[in-house]
Amino acid sequence: MKLNKLIVTVFAGAFFFASCSSDDDSSDNEPKGAYDNGLLILNEGGFNAGNASVSFLSEANELENNVFSTVNGGALLGDTGQDIGLHGDYAYIVVNNSHKIEVVNRYTFEKVVTVTAGLDNPRYIAFSGNKGYVTNWGDPTDATDDYVAVLDLSTNTITSNIGVAEGPEVITENNGKLYVAHKGGYGFGNTVSVINASSNTFEIAVTVGDVPNSLAVEDDRLYVMSEGLPSWAGTETGGELTVVNLSNNTVSGNYTFADTAHPANLVIEDDKLYYTVDDGIYSMDVTAAALPTAPLFTTTAQGVYGVYSFEVKDDKVYVGDAMDYNSNGKVYVYSITGSIEQSFTVGVIPAGFYFND
Amino acid sequence: MTLKKLFFIAPLLLCQYLCAQNDTITQLQEVVLSDTQLRDYSNSQSVQQLNDSVIALNPASLGALLNYNTVIYFKENGLGMVSSPSFRGTTAQQTAVLWNGININSQLNGQTDFNIINATDFNSVSVRAGGGSVIYGSSAIGGSIHLNNDLSFDNTIHNTLLVKYGSYNTVNANYNFKASTRKFSSDVSISRNNSDNDYEYPDSDIKNENGQYYNTSYNAAFGYKINEKNILRLYSFVYDGERHFSRTLVAPSHSKYRDINSRNLLEWLGLYGRFTSKLKAALLTEHYKYYARGNANYTFGKVNTWLGTYDLAYNITDNLKINTLLNYTHNKGDGSDIEAKERNIGSGSVLLQHSVTEKLQYEVGVRKEITDVYESPVLFSFGGSYDVAEFYTVKVNTSRNFRIPTFNDLYWQGSGNPDLKPESSYQAEVGNEFKAKNFKFTLTGYYIKLRDMLRWIPVNNVWRPENVGKVNTYGAESLINWQKTIGNSRFVFDGTYAYTVSREDGNSNQLIYVPFHKATASLAYSYKNISAYYRHLYNGKVFYTSDNSSQIDAYNVSTLGAEYHFKLMRGLDIGAQVHNLWDKAYQNVTMRPMPGRNYTMYLNFKF
Repeated sequence: MKLNKLIVTVFAGAFFFASCSSDDDSSDNEPKGAYDNGLLILNEGGFNAGNASVSFLSEANELENNVFSTVNGGALLGDTGQDIGLHGDYAYIVVNNSHKIEVVNRYTFEKVVTVTAGLDNPRYIAFSGNKGYVTNWGDPTDATDDYVAVLDLSTNTITSNIGVAEGPEVITENNGKLYVAHKGGYGFGNTVSVINASSNTFEIAVTVGDVPNSLAVEDDRLYVMSEGLPSWAGTETGGELTVVNLSNNTVSGNYTFADTAHPANLVIEDDKLYYTVDDGIYSMDVTAAALPTAPLFTTTAQGVYGVYSFEVKDDKVYVGDAMDYNSNGKVYVYSITGSIEQSFTVGVIPAGFYFND
Repeated sequence: MTLKKLFFIAPLLLCQYLCAQNDTITQLQEVVLSDTQLRDYSNSQSVQQLNDSVIALNPASLGALLNYNTVIYFKENGLGMVSSPSFRGTTAQQTAVLWNGININSQLNGQTDFNIINATDFNSVSVRAGGGSVIYGSSAIGGSIHLNNDLSFDNTIHNTLLVKYGSYNTVNANYNFKASTRKFSSDVSISRNNSDNDYEYPDSDIKNENGQYYNTSYNAAFGYKINEKNILRLYSFVYDGERHFSRTLVAPSHSKYRDINSRNLLEWLGLYGRFTSKLKAALLTEHYKYYARGNANYTFGKVNTWLGTYDLAYNITDNLKINTLLNYTHNKGDGSDIEAKERNIGSGSVLLQHSVTEKLQYEVGVRKEITDVYESPVLFSFGGSYDVAEFYTVKVNTSRNFRIPTFNDLYWQGSGNPDLKPESSYQAEVGNEFKAKNFKFTLTGYYIKLRDMLRWIPVNNVWRPENVGKVNTYGAESLINWQKTIGNSRFVFDGTYAYTVSREDGNSNQLIYVPFHKATASLAYSYKNISAYYRHLYNGKVFYTSDNSSQIDAYNVSTLGAEYHFKLMRGLDIGAQVHNLWDKAYQNVTMRPMPGRNYTMYLNFKF
């Protein structure tokens, strides 16, 4: 067990012990609020339309839309919901065009505090210890002002910034290190920054494929999915899956896609990698020698044009469809073999899935 | 009626009137129209003219003027921000704006921002409903807006100074100078507008931050009669404005936008018996700079347009007119986000108007455009009108119209699509016009079938325009005007109403930002030197998501105004207005609250 996991476990244990002592009748599976033990769906909303929202899908497959607004007396969540980070008792909702993070109780969704100072085009959040790490584009027209903001979770204030290359996007934590994919903002990036969470300093940049869009960690290996350069960039390049050895931050393997294939949405579940290309869902063993040639299944029957958001958990595949990017989106739930099990109408542009357990 | 009274009443009762086919003929002896097709080939459609007295009483921007006085719906991205029309349920690119007969829609985005045109710069603003591409070219699908400066040769000098000051430190000033002899005529107008525009959002503790703007415009027309047969005219326009783009309820903003536009048109008018010949050359420039963060970094786009037109009209008989229009346009565009490109467009139109009897007339037009960039359809129009009775005229019109792809559509870096076709429409309308002594009422029903509509859609995860939209629109429009004088009292009522249904083929949802209902009403009352007026706008609900799941509620907003007329020099009016009289909280675009009750005072001095 890693040290930080141990710390979290100790804290969680202490919390559990404390709550037991004050409420000796509760069992350990008792939900801590209406939104415990289910799936949170972040709906991005239209840029400048101000209609970001959160939907909740319970384990009993009951969907509730507009959770944040309903719980908080009609308050608006904001403009362009980008990411939700779950940590401790809180959900940290990163709202890009409102330049803020809404901190809510993750189980009740009651608003705790809004963080705005120190955020400028915030994108994604990850956690290490008692700190949150938030990628920020700053001025998107300025390639040199991008940073990772350090959020002190005890005070909910930004305490320092770590300057990074242009267009920091998704961020993930492993073993006291943060890995930031530089999708590139208005440009095209091809690196992953490594940040040391104990010193809050940038350590090294690892070169990966063009336009890295998703990250996943398994057994000291970082898998980086890059989508490649789009057709309009001049020279189109295919996607690339890069494996980084986290013991020495070197590339230990890579898989290349066809020149016109632009993969996205990498996740790891049960020693398998899952990703999407257009409307196809692909899967491969984490140790496979080559990329699969055929998709596990496609979402064509549901008319999903491109998979906008994606998650795999407990033998279920969750697909978010942004439809026309203006009206309410759809979420489809498939079995791991691709048979459609459920479909739901959620908010505008379902952008991310977060299991609240 | 004494001259004095006439003087006083004229501006008031000249309020907007509904232009009929023969209304203007009597004063034409000394006035040279800038857009004769609007008079001669628009008899089977509805034309509504707003003249300078109405313009003076309304907010300075063209968008606000039209919003409060016509059937056109405006989507305004916050007060004073980008204002785009939807005329008969069409898109902002499907309304053409003509400046002295020249199409001035942006070559970059295909539309006109109605908040960067000052209505006070023009003698008259006319709204021609329905298809007009045969005459006016691209975008005249929903209708066209005509900004005209007509020159008179009558040996007079007129100065007008209009100054308004209102809430949020809003200043609108316009100075107009008209001078003419029998040989020479000039009409020069300079406008300045600025505002802090920092109103408080109703029911909120947020202010409209970053909404400040200023602009200066110059519009001038000069005419010189070389002799009785030949007249030279020069029209010039310059606009320089900077607007900060305001925040929304949930998103702050630091951005700002600069517009620098100029238009110059030189025309040689020849009146040779039954022939009228016009040779025109124009240079239009548009240039924008967008500062996303309000700092020194910006993106830009600019297009220079050279235009040559030959317009030859021939009255075959007193009842049969023919008009040919030959047009050549050269655009040269460049920008930080578009490829530098040039394009050439040539077009030819033939128009014919025949008054068969005193009661029956018809008009026919055909146009074909040739360009190196895309294939253009043959456009046509056919219409007629018949005076069924002294009080009742019926009008019928059908036409094919188009909207050409813009520089952004074709050449946007990475996502422009050079293989686009123009959007095109088939449309038909039937109009009924009822006239009585003090009363005028029109009711028009129409249908528009739009094909190859340009929509930006994601293709291989890249947003790009495609000719995929198919939209059917139908609706009805009504205009009403009533005037009555009782002793020293005078009443003028004007109303408009539009019912609009606009849907994609095979879909029952209304298009976003198209209200089913829109109505305006204004009532003016004057007694001797005092006048008061009330203006009301009802804007029906609109949807802002294409599945019609989210809507902006309908709203009512009104202005109450009063003024006093002093007999000083040629007349001095001093007035005040209360806007949003009932202090209603409302939004026109989602997340962008409009101001609560606010005030303007003004002075209109003629000397």
